Amino acid sequence: MNDRIDRQDSVVNRIIDGSITIDSVEEFEDLLKAFPNDPRLHRVFADRLLEDNSINAAEEYKTSAKLFIEAGLPLQAITCKIFEWRIIKPSREEGLAFHSALCECSPQNIEVQKFFTKLAYEEMTALMEKIMPHNYPANTMLKKFGDEENELCFVVSGALEETNYHRLEADEKVQKKSTINLIESDIFGGIYPFCEDKLSESDIESITCVELLKISKLKLTALYGEHPDLNRLMQDLCKSHSESNRERYSKTVRKAIRHQLPMQVNLKIFQEESGKPPLNLSGFTDDISLGGTCVILGAKYQTGDITHLTGKNVKIQLCLPIESISLNILGSIVWSKEIPVEGKKTAIVGIQFKEVNPVDREILKGYCCGSEAEQNLIWGLWSSLMEK
Amino acid sequence: MKEELNTENKSTPKILAVGGGKGGAGKSVFSTIMAFWLARIGHRTVLMDVDLGGANLHTLLGIKSPDRTLNDFITRKFGELEDICIDTSEKNLRLISGASDVLSLANPHFSQKIKLMTHLSRLDADYVVLDLGAGTSFNVLDFFLVAHKKLIVLTPEPTSIQNAYIFVRNAVYRKLSRLSSKNPSLQALIKIAMDPKNVLKIRTIKELFQFIEESDKTNIIEVLKKEIGDMHLGVVTNKVRNEKEENAGRIVQIVAEKYLTIPSTDLGCVSYDSHINTMVSDMIPLTNLDQSSQAYGNVYEIANKLSRD
Repeated sequence: MNDRIDRQDSVVNRIIDGSITIDSVEEFEDLLKAFPNDPRLHRVFADRLLEDNSINAAEEYKTSAKLFIEAGLPLQAITCKIFEWRIIKPSREEGLAFHSALCECSPQNIEVQKFFTKLAYEEMTALMEKIMPHNYPANTMLKKFGDEENELCFVVSGALEETNYHRLEADEKVQKKSTINLIESDIFGGIYPFCEDKLSESDIESITCVELLKISKLKLTALYGEHPDLNRLMQDLCKSHSESNRERYSKTVRKAIRHQLPMQVNLKIFQEESGKPPLNLSGFTDDISLGGTCVILGAKYQTGDITHLTGKNVKIQLCLPIESISLNILGSIVWSKEIPVEGKKTAIVGIQFKEVNPVDREILKGYCCGSEAEQNLIWGLWSSLMEK
Repeated sequence: MKEELNTENKSTPKILAVGGGKGGAGKSVFSTIMAFWLARIGHRTVLMDVDLGGANLHTLLGIKSPDRTLNDFITRKFGELEDICIDTSEKNLRLISGASDVLSLANPHFSQKIKLMTHLSRLDADYVVLDLGAGTSFNVLDFFLVAHKKLIVLTPEPTSIQNAYIFVRNAVYRKLSRLSSKNPSLQALIKIAMDPKNVLKIRTIKELFQFIEESDKTNIIEVLKKEIGDMHLGVVTNKVRNEKEENAGRIVQIVAEKYLTIPSTDLGCVSYDSHINTMVSDMIPLTNLDQSSQAYGNVYEIANKLSRD
């Protein structure tokens, strides 16, 4: 995953995963000022604008697509472009420009991402016309063992679980073989060999909300008639993907971990007006990363309009479980909101860290993840005990 | 499997704490079913919701709105924890519901916490099961450390394994910090050791102990070693779907032993059961779960194992 996305603030993660929703366009715009280069945040905003039937959604999808390409994620970029071009039909020049950007993109070392950069212009546009984005909530059974394999699916975002089965010849009963996770930039759908009617050998269920790009075998047949090279590329993709899948999984999840480590936090929020004393508040972290934290403010903060906190500089004191240790970090409040917690309105602020001294940074890293050696042992054991 | 009430007179209850770092590992469900089985085996059991940041254990027992909570104890409406115990539909099982006043209680004052901990041992019960909240705040760790049996619940997911290990790691550092609270130079050394790239090149608790042994002439090292060595953990892997996933707890055990010098016991696995999710979302008491459920059977084995110790 690209560093730009890895380092995104925990507030942004929560908006992207849907655990925090942003109500107003203005709030979103403020947030984008703080995180102008986050493609996923632009994508969430574009979807929000689309819900409101706003023409501005097209521009947001365009920005998001551009940032996804820069991040080496052509699949996600193409998904944005499909939405953009549904709103405003592109000229041939615009289409060519996007294709050119796609070809020049340095995709992450994932077969699915590489596949999109290999398409000819005509193949790309033909595929984009036929392939359809679909969204599913968590815990949706997308495919059952024995269902007809009649479509190919690309995972744009989210995570799914694939449970493979053995079919027992004698009494047709099935026996569980293995369970693997499918994540962003995976594919599923056993459509090859193309000429055979195949039945699914697995159950596929969403673990989180997922977005897929789906194309039916019927539509692919039509496409292959006009673009025979596309058939070859697609076959190569399906073959190589299954081989590289497992190795990539552990690496990706390792990077995607978010830390739910509540700890006490004291905030000194500096007021803009000169002479006005700083506002001292306390609370606890809802989640934390090396880039920032979400803080649930304590009872001392009277809920009400808290939007005035956004943009303010803040000195954060993070109290670690060691009595004598607290980390002092400078940051700014990039977002503030009231959210319901256990039926009560609670003030929550998103803070982006600006200045963390190197020692405090390492201690925070150790607190969140352990040392490099501990992490390596955990992941080494994960590979040997859980994956093989 | 129902057995007669255990009439053995015990002066103080055994405290079992269920922690694990990450939300969603199934700590509350596991705590509830384990408390249910301890009660069924015949032990007078109190299940206590210590998730001070998001109390919801009462809903797992089908209690919509508890009339007494920890809040009433902390605000001195009631003087004893006994007074806020709520009877459940299960004989021998009582509940202390967590406080709903999230913000004031997620970080109680030191005196409130001490009061809570002191009163735990006064409960008229054989077992007190503490369902801890997610995370590794002072309070979660302190309740974990005060327990006689320290249980870690995790699921076979990379995030859960890592968070469970970090939970244990932070508990160890918290314990070391408390043990050395009257020794500023030792406190400073522990702070240095918490930096994974510290100049003294102390990378593990074992190395920290070696360093203390060489530099400190008092016998503090023996105390530290004993206290950390006595922090025996019980590891439970929850929501297991296949044999391979049973290894998840083993990962935490191996890393904790190597880097933190903590011995641990694999208490076993609990199978994934989709009915439990449905019951939780439909607010059906977990005590009503079909007892042929594999997960129920697994927790029974664990409860049985713990009550024999």
